Amino acid sequence: MYRYDAIDRAVLADRTAEFRDQVRRRLAGELTEDQFKPLRLMNGLYLQLHAYMLRVAVPYGSLNPVQMRALADIARRFDRGYGHFTTRTNIQFNWVKLDDAPDILDALAAVDLHAIQTSGNCIRNVTADPYAGAAADELEDPRVWCEAIRQWSSLHPEFSFLPRKFKIAVTASPHDRTAAKVHDIGLLLRRGRDGETGFEVIVGGGMGRTPYVGPTIRAYLPSDRLFSYLEAILRVYNRHGRRDNIYKARIKILVAALGAEAFAREVEAEWEKIGPEGDLPRAEIDRIGAAFTNPDFVADPASGDFEARRAAEPAFARFVRNNLKAHIRPGYGIVDISLKGIGETPGDISADQMDLVADLAERFGQGDIRSTHEQNLVLPHVRLEHVHEVWKALDAAGLATPNINLISDIIACPGLDYCALANARAICVAQDIARRFETPERAEAIGEFKIKISGCINACGHHHVGHIGILGVDKKGEEFYQLTLGGSGAEDAAVGKMLGPALPIDRVTDAVEAIVDAYLRERREGERFLDTLRRTGDAPFKEAVYAEAH
Amino acid sequence: MKALTANRLSDGEVVFWKDGTWVERLSEAQVFSDEAGAGEAEASARTQRTVVIDPYLIDLVDSAGFWAPVSYRERIRALGPTNHELHGKQAEGGGAVEALRQAHGAARSSGRVNLIRRK
Ligand code: HEM
Ligand code: SF4
Repeated sequence: MYRYDAIDRAVLADRTAEFRDQVRRRLAGELTEDQFKPLRLMNGLYLQLHAYMLRVAVPYGSLNPVQMRALADIARRFDRGYGHFTTRTNIQFNWVKLDDAPDILDALAAVDLHAIQTSGNCIRNVTADPYAGAAADELEDPRVWCEAIRQWSSLHPEFSFLPRKFKIAVTASPHDRTAAKVHDIGLLLRRGRDGETGFEVIVGGGMGRTPYVGPTIRAYLPSDRLFSYLEAILRVYNRHGRRDNIYKARIKILVAALGAEAFAREVEAEWEKIGPEGDLPRAEIDRIGAAFTNPDFVADPASGDFEARRAAEPAFARFVRNNLKAHIRPGYGIVDISLKGIGETPGDISADQMDLVADLAERFGQGDIRSTHEQNLVLPHVRLEHVHEVWKALDAAGLATPNINLISDIIACPGLDYCALANARAICVAQDIARRFETPERAEAIGEFKIKISGCINACGHHHVGHIGILGVDKKGEEFYQLTLGGSGAEDAAVGKMLGPALPIDRVTDAVEAIVDAYLRERREGERFLDTLRRTGDAPFKEAVYAEAH
Repeated sequence: MKALTANRLSDGEVVFWKDGTWVERLSEAQVFSDEAGAGEAEASARTQRTVVIDPYLIDLVDSAGFWAPVSYRERIRALGPTNHELHGKQAEGGGAVEALRQAHGAARSSGRVNLIRRK
C-alpha cells in the first residue's frame, strides 16, 4: 500500500489547520453560511437532514488496518458508533457536529486519510477494481495507476474548478467490477499487440438525470502516455463543458452533444500540443509501483482442512460459493465481506465490526482491506487454510451473510432517511426486499441479481444500472418508486428501461417478487435474470407487475 | 397551522422556533395560526446567522392531539431516520413521537420549496 511522505503530511496538516480557522470564523459570525458552505464542502462536510455528514475519501477503496481502526475510533468518539460505506467506495459519518469536524480531520490525517475532493467540481476519488492485485483474471495491478492519478489530481490547480464533478475508474480485468462505463472516464487496462499494456479510454458515461454508457474514444492508449491524455480530456472539458446549467455540466453532456468522434478529435489535437512532456516519467511510476508489490505471499501454501470443512459444513460451503473468489495465486482466496446483513442498512458497519475487520486483515489478510462500489468490504489476500477461521469470526459479528451478487446484496443510497436532496427513502425498501428473499437457498436459486435503489434522480444508488433499478419519486408528497429493468454496471453496461407507472412504497417488494417469479418461469438453463430479460424483452415482467392492477 | 424550523449551526440538529429561541422537540415548538405572526418569526429567525442555518416554515396537521408536519420529509426531520429507531429525536419515545409516526398527511415541504426558490 502507498505511504504518505513528509510533503503529503505537511499538506494535510496545513489544510486541517486552515479548516479549523474557517470553522472558528463561521461560528464567530465572521463568515456567512454562503461564504462558509463551499469551504466546508471542500473538506467533505455536508449538511444533511439531521446533522452534518462527513465524507471521508478511501483512496481507490484501499484501507489498512490502522486506518480502519482510526475510522472505528472516529465512529465511537464523534458519531453514533458506526459509519456508512457508499457506492463511491468512501465512508460517511452521519452524525457529525461542526465544532468536532476539525478534530476528526486531524484524526484522519494521523493515519494518512482526509476528506479533500470528496465534494465540489473537481476530480473525485478514483474507483478501482476492489480485487486489484488479487483477481485471477487481472493483467496487472491497477492501483499503481490509481495512486498516480490520485497524486496528479490532488489539488490540481487547473482542474479544481471544473464545470462539474469528475469521476475516474480504472480496472485491469475483463470483468468490470468498477462500473467504469458509467464514470466520466473509464480506463480499461489492455495488453497491446506489442505485449505492452495500455488503456481503452471511455469518456462520458454517467448516471444522474441523463444516464449514458460512455463511448470509447480511444481503443488503445499506451500506458506511459496516460497523463498527457487525461490532461487533454480534462482541458477540452474545462474549455467546452457547460457552466450555465448545472444539469448539463457533466462531461457526458459535452460528449453527447459533440458526438464521441468529434470529442475524440478535440482531445487528440490537444494531446498533440501537450506531447510527452505531460507524462509521468517511468521512474516515478516504478517508484509508486514498488509500494504495491506485496512481499508476504508464500509460494503454494497448504490449504489445510479447507476442502474437508467445505464438504462437512454446508453453511461454510455456502459462504465459500458466494463470498470467496479466485485469487491470482494458488492457495489464496479473495474474501468478500457482506455489509448487507438481512434487514440491515446497506453499507453500514459498526465500530466493533470495523475493528474486527482490521484484526482479521492483520492476522490473515496481509493488512489489506478494500471497499467496493457495491457497498461491501473485501479481504483480498486470505490463505485458503485460514478462510474457515475468518468466516467463523465474521459470522460471529454478523458480517458473513453469504449473499454477494445475490438478490439481497442491494445497493441503496441514504435516501430520505438522511439526504437533504431525497424524494423518498431507499434504505427501508432495500431492507424489505432483503427480508422477502432472506432464505439463502431461494436467493442462490435465483442467482446473480442486482437491485439498486436511489432516493432521487441523482442516482447515487446506481439505479440506472441495476438489473432492477428502483428510483424514489415524490408524488404529491408521497413516496413512490419507479422501476427500471435491464441495467448493468458491468462490462455489459446498459441503462435500464422504465417498466411502467411508479408504485407506492407498499407494492415495491411484491413487484420485485413478481418479476423474480416471472424470471424463474421464463428462464432457460444457465441464464441469469439479465440474460432472460434480454431474450424475452420486458413484456412478461410488465405483465407480472401490472396485471393485477388492471 | 405552521411551525418554524431550521438546522442548528453548531451541530446540524433539527430545531424549532419558540419565542425567539430554538427547541429540539416539535412538541415544544411555537405554533402559528396566522400568516403574519409566522412570517415575522421567520424574518427574525433569518437574522440569527450564527445560531441556525436556513430557517423555513412548515405546515402542520393534527395527529392524535399533537401537531405533526404535513410533509413526510419534515416528519422524518422531526423524528430521525426510520432505519435506526434509536437515532435522532425519536429515541426518547412517548406520545408526541408516536403521534408523529402515526401522522398521515401527504404534501411537499412547501417551506423548503420556497427556500430553494429564494436561492
Ligand atoms: C449529502 C449527500 C449527497 C449529496 C448531496 C449527493 C449529491 C449528488 C448529486 C447532485 C449527484 C448528481 C450529479 C450530477 O448528475 O451531476 C450525485 C450523483 C452521484 N452520487 Fe451523490 N450525493 C450524496 C450522497 C451520495 C452517497 C451516499 C453516495 C454513495 C452511496 C453517492 C454517490 C454518487 C454516485 C455514484 C452518483 C452517480 C454518478 C454520477 O453521476 O456521478 N452520493 N450525487
Ligand atoms: S440519489 Fe438522491 S437521495 Fe440518494 S443520496 Fe443521492 S442525492 Fe441523496
